[in-house]
Amino acid sequence: MISSESTIYQGSRTAKDKVREFFRQIFTSDKLGLVIALLLIIIVFSILTGNKYFTGQNIINILISSSIVGLVAIGECYLVISGQIDLSPGSVAAFSGVLVSILLARGWHLLLALPSVVAFGCFIGLLNATLVNKLKLEPFIATLATMSIFRGLAYIICGGKAVFVTDKLFLKLGAGRILGIPIPVIVFIVMFAIFIVILSRTRFGRSVYMVGGNPVAARLAGINAAKVRTKIYMITSAFSALGGCIQAGRMSSGQPMSSEGLEFDAVTAVVLGGVAMTGGVGTLGGALLGLMILQGFNNGLMMMNVPSFWQTVSRGVLLIAALSFDFIRNRKRNK
Amino acid sequence: MKEVNKFDIFCHSRLIELQIEIEERNRLRDGDGGEILVSTLEFRGITKSFPGVRALDNVSFKAKGGQVVALVGENGAGKSTLLKILNGDYQPDAGQYMIDGRECHSRTPHAAINAGVSVIYQERQVIPYLSVAENIFMEEIPVGPVRLINYNELNRRAQQIIDEFKLPIKATQRVKDLSVAYQQMVEIMKSYRRKPKVIAFDEPTASLSDAEIEILFGIIEDLKKKGIIILYVSHRMKEIFQITDEVVVLKDGKFVDQLKTSSTNENELIFKMVGRNLGDIFKGLDRNENIGETILEVKNLVANNVKNVSFSLRKGEILGFAGLVGAGRTETMRAIFGADKYTSGEIYVEGEKIEIKSPEDAIKNGIALCPEDRKDQGIIAKRGIRENISLAILESLSKRGFINFSKEREIAEKGVNDLNVKTPTIEKHIGELSGGNQQKVILARWLAANPKVLILDEPTKGIDVGSKSEIYQIICNLAKQGIGVIMISSELPEILGVCDRILVMCQGRITGELMREEATEKKVLTLAMADMLGGY
Repeated sequence: MISSESTIYQGSRTAKDKVREFFRQIFTSDKLGLVIALLLIIIVFSILTGNKYFTGQNIINILISSSIVGLVAIGECYLVISGQIDLSPGSVAAFSGVLVSILLARGWHLLLALPSVVAFGCFIGLLNATLVNKLKLEPFIATLATMSIFRGLAYIICGGKAVFVTDKLFLKLGAGRILGIPIPVIVFIVMFAIFIVILSRTRFGRSVYMVGGNPVAARLAGINAAKVRTKIYMITSAFSALGGCIQAGRMSSGQPMSSEGLEFDAVTAVVLGGVAMTGGVGTLGGALLGLMILQGFNNGLMMMNVPSFWQTVSRGVLLIAALSFDFIRNRKRNK
Repeated sequence: MKEVNKFDIFCHSRLIELQIEIEERNRLRDGDGGEILVSTLEFRGITKSFPGVRALDNVSFKAKGGQVVALVGENGAGKSTLLKILNGDYQPDAGQYMIDGRECHSRTPHAAINAGVSVIYQERQVIPYLSVAENIFMEEIPVGPVRLINYNELNRRAQQIIDEFKLPIKATQRVKDLSVAYQQMVEIMKSYRRKPKVIAFDEPTASLSDAEIEILFGIIEDLKKKGIIILYVSHRMKEIFQITDEVVVLKDGKFVDQLKTSSTNENELIFKMVGRNLGDIFKGLDRNENIGETILEVKNLVANNVKNVSFSLRKGEILGFAGLVGAGRTETMRAIFGADKYTSGEIYVEGEKIEIKSPEDAIKNGIALCPEDRKDQGIIAKRGIRENISLAILESLSKRGFINFSKEREIAEKGVNDLNVKTPTIEKHIGELSGGNQQKVILARWLAANPKVLILDEPTKGIDVGSKSEIYQIICNLAKQGIGVIMISSELPEILGVCDRILVMCQGRITGELMREEATEKKVLTLAMADMLGGY
């Protein structure tokens, strides 16, 4: 009833229409607020730090701090769009970091140890998916359980002590650089690019949206919702495992207490980037913007020597501010 | 403590006020003999626009207490918008409404309630895990000292209201244990407890059975006698003539006419609603005359609420499934489509036996199903028309997993044009379209999949008259293309008017088969109620 249904769609579009459409999309885009926020952060911190903020080195710093959260955020973005959530990535990352360190300490080659650990990550994803699909547990509950299980197992397999790594190749994974760009950043950017394409251009990506938008309708249209969910949980856990390994490489040890709250940072970035918790709506590009705002803001506060406790507070405030902005804008548009 | 007392005193004084008012009214009625002081509701020049559309354009009319006034019009005529303005959800751009001659500015639903307005929506607004009494007294739960709920008082007062309505339910029952109809009664009692001057019903019978509708009508009759102004929105002509006193017709947001129900008829109303005569839409249908060989055969199908169902469907045939709600028609179709499991039975498509374990299997074998519940099972509301149309054919649209976007757009545009979906672009969210246009998009989804058999479960449910006739013609066109169409419908005229052959189901069994020429409403109903009439 609210909709304008007076005209019947005309197939042809002129170039002028396309240009107009392009600008209309920019100004009505959900991303507009995010882009403005990011620009504001850059400008304000550049002024406050005397132009030390927006430099190549600092951008790389921001990207390094984003890389592991970013990998998990890819998975969480897919999950939230499909109407799910995973609370276990932090635990899975810690567990994987410890596991890969133990395997390396036992003399496994990195090219065997790393794929094995990531594969085991896939298995954890399969477990999460099975709990959700077969036992019909709420994703929140199912992954709360696995979160607890793998945090505990991370401590058990190493006896509660950090496992140190000396494998040079592995340490490079965390701290090495190619053409001056840290390897974790390269991994993160490549993965993001690949998964943006998958989400926006493939059949699987489309199914993610459809299952999130209306699982019943998607099933009745022949989409196997359970299969789609399984894939996404496996992707998320694999990324968590990979992130955990990179983290271990950076710290040159597998630490069972590491990556606490990783999943919440990732979900914060995703939600900040305009992905709706109700499912069916959002983009990975948006999640990337959300991540950059979050990390850029944290980095700025760090450069200003704001104590880390305040960074945690600011993360919450940022989230509320961003969502309020969205809310007000949507309400205005609907009026 | 202090607050409680204040609140109690406030309620009490309001009650006394109301009592005095009622007594005065009665006195006037008895004294002057005929000169009755009735409450009035008047809309004056209500205008409301949304981006791109004028939902209401200078709408004015009056309604009097003790009368049921029907509000009719096609989807998009402005009925719901008017109700939303009445209950304070929307603010009009111009105009106002007046109750008893007093202007009301209801900025929120809460203010509207205080002004004496109550709107009962199609979707229940009860809280299932609370008791009937708690629901009725939702925002005015009687409390004792220290603000604890006084359950005795609560239940006593609730039971009083229930008794007044003569309903066989208890104040202490949980609402979730009640049938849909009684849940609705709870909502009505909640409204009634607020002593409203106006109660508006929005499609109240949509999910009620015939027996339940009778109970509802009894209650509306009672409310009417109590001098309450009743607005009644419905698509069902039969009901309008059964219970309303006046009819207000809206079309494209404009007021068309206000008539006495007793002095008009169905054809006249439809003419006023759609601006053309739909009296014999079925006669005007361009039907398929070429019915081919058998395309689908179902043998001894057994599933939940489906008992040994066998039937066959031919190419280009429109096969109707009639029956009462719960006869097992939807279950039969869901089993054939693989949405639910079946225990035993055989399904043949074009003479070949097929196994169907999931909707995927059914679609691969050329069977498509438009579900009954469009909102929950059909559309993906937050996504665009394009994505909704291509949903079932993603596999054939993509190469190595990548979607061919230009082909997708082409198919979506073709679907939108072929079925005359009214939308500015194929990217518009399907949730923002009217019911009729949503249904056309869902039809386009399945047509894109080139089905051999298309199952339509209540294809015109909640759709306005104009779109209905369009959909009937679309169905006939599909039959002409050689698709075998199965149509489940609870609307007899539509079954009789559209289908070539009708199967009637009752309690999970097929109780009869009627050809188009021999079918009448009476014959279908007799078969549909075979169990109540003693065997078949």
